[in-house]
Amino acid sequence: MRLKVILLFVFLSLLLVGAAVFRLFITRSIDGELSFVFPAHNILTYRLVPLVAALIVGSALGVSGMGLQVLLRNPLASPWILGLSSGAGLGVMATMFVEHTTGNSILGGQSLGAIVGAVFTLLLVFGLSRKRGGIDPMTMVLVGVVISVLCGAGIMIFQHLVPMGLRGSFTTWLMGSLPEVESWWRLGILGLIVFGGISLIAWWGPTLDAACLSDDEAKSVGVDLPRIRRGLFLASSLLAAIGVILAGPIAFVGLIAPHGARLMMRGSHRLLAIATALVGALLLLGADDIRQLVDLGTGRLPIGIVTSVIGGLVFLVLLLGGRGRV
Amino acid sequence: MRLRLSDVGVRYGVRTAIRDINAGVDGGKVVAVLGPNASGKTTLLRTIAGLQQPSSGFVELDGARVDKLKPHDLASKIAWVPRVAEVAGSFSIRKVIELGRYALGPSRQRVEGALSKVDLLSRSESLWYEASAGMRQRASIARALAQRTPGGVLVLDEPTSALDLRHLRMVGEILCQCASEGDIVIAAMHDISFALEIADEVFVLKEGQLVLAGATKAVLTPSSLGDVFGVDLAWATDDAGNRHLVHP
Repeated sequence: MRLKVILLFVFLSLLLVGAAVFRLFITRSIDGELSFVFPAHNILTYRLVPLVAALIVGSALGVSGMGLQVLLRNPLASPWILGLSSGAGLGVMATMFVEHTTGNSILGGQSLGAIVGAVFTLLLVFGLSRKRGGIDPMTMVLVGVVISVLCGAGIMIFQHLVPMGLRGSFTTWLMGSLPEVESWWRLGILGLIVFGGISLIAWWGPTLDAACLSDDEAKSVGVDLPRIRRGLFLASSLLAAIGVILAGPIAFVGLIAPHGARLMMRGSHRLLAIATALVGALLLLGADDIRQLVDLGTGRLPIGIVTSVIGGLVFLVLLLGGRGRV
Repeated sequence: MRLRLSDVGVRYGVRTAIRDINAGVDGGKVVAVLGPNASGKTTLLRTIAGLQQPSSGFVELDGARVDKLKPHDLASKIAWVPRVAEVAGSFSIRKVIELGRYALGPSRQRVEGALSKVDLLSRSESLWYEASAGMRQRASIARALAQRTPGGVLVLDEPTSALDLRHLRMVGEILCQCASEGDIVIAAMHDISFALEIADEVFVLKEGQLVLAGATKAVLTPSSLGDVFGVDLAWATDDAGNRHLVHP
């Protein structure tokens, strides 16, 4: 590994540690005054849980976006734009609705709903974008946007069907938020799955490099395209679904993190996957830090709003700068 | 090494791209594939390269069907150069050429040699998306050179369409050298003079059918090409006594 890459990883890790320390220590009093002190033990847990969740969700969404961008050879691909987040969201909403109306818990609950929703949506987008046996990237983005709108409509229908009191919690969930109360056990399992997914995608790095050639060229140099696409498809869906399970639909992290990593380094997707995971985690943790600082008089902003504002602006800058490449 | 095409046909939906193509090529030959636009040249080459499943018939390389080869075997036997190469990542030219060794294992020597042959050694760290069309075309040829196994098949779709005269000549020499090492070199082209200069044999396609095949100088005549392309052609002789096809 070249020294430059090692230094970059060290730099990103230090930033991540800095953002984590900031998140743990920053305190806003009831009258809105900010202070930087080590929190009491009982408060520390409420800060550690969202911190760990941010690391898991940010890295999962970032690497999921990178996988989808390679899979579709499209720099606009991300779990959010392709409708995966909306699909997972619809799955969660459907689960919440059924659990509420029947009064019974569903096996696997919202987690299962999110995974089924994400995989089903991606299958639908993938299937509808096929042309002459191949995938047309532009069609896929357009189909993704349409499916995303349809899933959004489905989510609104569920919102409409539940009693007024429950609508508030539906809406809060849709804005995206990092959990402050979550079992360490569940966090550990989801974290391990994300670690496994990221490791797998990083392991496929050389194949992803070759898959960046056109289909004909990739096949000619020996890439088993159907196999790697199936793998990427499943791994990216799973990572996106875990992001939704833990934090709801978070926009732009999956789009921005791979582009941010590519701005800092070139070369193999093996290293790029690691860099993207670090940038994704940093983005989400940074967004969580920012929302601790902003007070509009109505409590802290939902993290989904912060990522949308930052991500939208950053992506606009990347596009206008001509750096929107896979 | 022998390549054999038996009753090869390809349909895209209801449209027939090529049909009933029967031909054979031995190792050590350069074959030029000629024909008007949309005559099926690219489809034929993609089928030969194992990238297009034939709708009927088959292509065999030493008795093995190329559409049945496993990805690694395909990479080790047949190298492909597209008309326009596409690379989606922010890769350097060197990295793109290294991708030619994906299935066969890295080889710095092969990559350096390929870069040198296409005159890209000094530009190897340039980014792909910043390279000119000519540089990309040469890089694509270099990727195939880094990949090719001597005695295999090199399939190229209009490999010189973006090249200047010096590099056109250079690529001609590379293709002839590959053939001299036992490769079957099959290249689609529109430049008849270039075909006359480098090709041992020609396949001429018209409306998806192989209408002419054989030794270059015997097949490429003003009357045969006039029939295929629908233009009047004649021989002209230069000061050195070389004959060229010209449009009078």
